[in-house]
Amino acid sequence: MAGTGLSGAAALAGVGATPLSRDSGVSTTALACRAILAALDDAGLGVGDVDGIATHRVGDSSPPWVVGPALGITDPAWHLDQFGGGGVSHAVIGQAALAVAAGVADVVVCYRAINARSEFRMGGQGRAPAGAFDLQYQAPYGLLAPVQHYAVPARAHMQAYGTTHEHLGAIAVRQRAHAAANPRALKRDPITLDDYLASPWISEPFRLLDCCLETDGACALVATSAERARDLRRPPVDIAAAAWAGGHSTYSPPAPGGLGDDLTTSSAARLAPRLYAMAGLGPDDVDVAELYDCFTWTVVVQLEDYGFCRKGEGGPFAASEALGIGGELPVNTHGGFLSEGYVHGINHVAEAVGQLRGDAGPRQVDGAEVALSTGQPGHILAGTSALLLTAGR
Amino acid sequence: MNATQSLRQDVPEQGGRRPGGHGAAAPRPRPGADRDSAYWWEAVGEGRFLVQYCADCRTPRFPAREVCAVCLSLEWEWREGTGTGTVDGWTVTRRTFHPAFEAPYTVLRVALDDGPALYCWGCLVGADPDGLRRGRPVEAVFTDVGPDPADGGPTGGGAFTRVVDWRLRE
Ligand SMILES: [Zn+2]
Repeated sequence: MAGTGLSGAAALAGVGATPLSRDSGVSTTALACRAILAALDDAGLGVGDVDGIATHRVGDSSPPWVVGPALGITDPAWHLDQFGGGGVSHAVIGQAALAVAAGVADVVVCYRAINARSEFRMGGQGRAPAGAFDLQYQAPYGLLAPVQHYAVPARAHMQAYGTTHEHLGAIAVRQRAHAAANPRALKRDPITLDDYLASPWISEPFRLLDCCLETDGACALVATSAERARDLRRPPVDIAAAAWAGGHSTYSPPAPGGLGDDLTTSSAARLAPRLYAMAGLGPDDVDVAELYDCFTWTVVVQLEDYGFCRKGEGGPFAASEALGIGGELPVNTHGGFLSEGYVHGINHVAEAVGQLRGDAGPRQVDGAEVALSTGQPGHILAGTSALLLTAGR
Repeated sequence: MNATQSLRQDVPEQGGRRPGGHGAAAPRPRPGADRDSAYWWEAVGEGRFLVQYCADCRTPRFPAREVCAVCLSLEWEWREGTGTGTVDGWTVTRRTFHPAFEAPYTVLRVALDDGPALYCWGCLVGADPDGLRRGRPVEAVFTDVGPDPADGGPTGGGAFTRVVDWRLRE
């Protein structure tokens, strides 16, 4: 089935990253520049080829109008400095693809650079991020950190569908096992379900081992036309679809009579049909999925909302062997945010590109042709974004 | 029982502490009210739990907005809300994210009885969270958080001295 819309117009031609750490010791500007230069080198391009630069941030990172000039990119034809967290992580790349498809830019570098452990801890500021004004209804009650905001729908899902702590724990255990095969991962020592169950509570139903790793680091991707990507150094990875969804969140309650007052369904449920339709693909075509895992439970809800299992069956499915490297749907093959590290979404795209290039070494999914990579599925600051990527020919 | 009167009364301490209540280790973050919501928070300060209704199609809405999302009317009215609802979701936080909130404490998402898709938040007071279930009836109580010495700051709202919490309803 042929794709529509953006399908196949743009490709990812380069990937770069800094090492991940708990204290980078450098600025987010420095991290961004290092990742971008690495991505351009990977693509066989230089800063002189770049005419677009894009990022997202929540007041915690260096913007394109600092990072661009720092690399001598002083006159980009297109740029994007998007407010937002993980929900827009994939939107940034989708928007770069739009710019390329429209002919506004030819080579766009997309980056995310954070010192999320040493400089700006999410939820650790004691106040809402600027612009999140509906947090006025939560902050006065001590509901301040993302772990608390996701704990509420996770608890609701557990009660509604019988999702268990053991289901969540199986996700943490498996992703750690995947990270053992990933030299970039911050956490590579295996853990057991007993280790998980013994880890301290943070905000119920989440324990420490349900949570992503606060991480310092940066990652960058080079987007260009599918045509140009075929002349570059590395095997191209095509953007088969990019999709966006607005929607409800725990920050901003739903409009009266509107969608989204069910905590157990995420904005991904509305994005997924658009994404698959644009690519002309369906859930059964996906060979590997990198699902936004700020907390274990977001994997559960996305398995349902992206159509890999029925609503309510995400817990048992997530705990099954299906999600292993040799399983029917390998998920978070790099270890995810839980064990590789948290670069707020873009590192999932980097892993998806690696899998489709056949570069993933001991964690390579055999014959991976189609990868799904997703942003935060809503619930916080509303909205989500995702990409379907295919191995270029 | 007159619901409004009941709401005006302070809840007796029943073993559960009042998270971030007056006299807590640090000032509780104040509502960062905006120009749509300030009237609602001012009413909370007077011990009133209001719900905004469209004056044309009569749809209730929360939080406050200028425009009705159903019929786009710009006319609205405030009515006394029921001050009651049911638990839609919750979390028991067991580490301290802010000095005003000593762990553990329980925050509820409450589905208001005033209409569909109306959600309010607040701490559970007067009870521990064991056995909490979705659908459990609750009622609003007002917690005096005192004047904010910073009178504003990043979250603003220094003038707001009361917030809405929830207790279990029989
Ligand atoms: Zn109306």
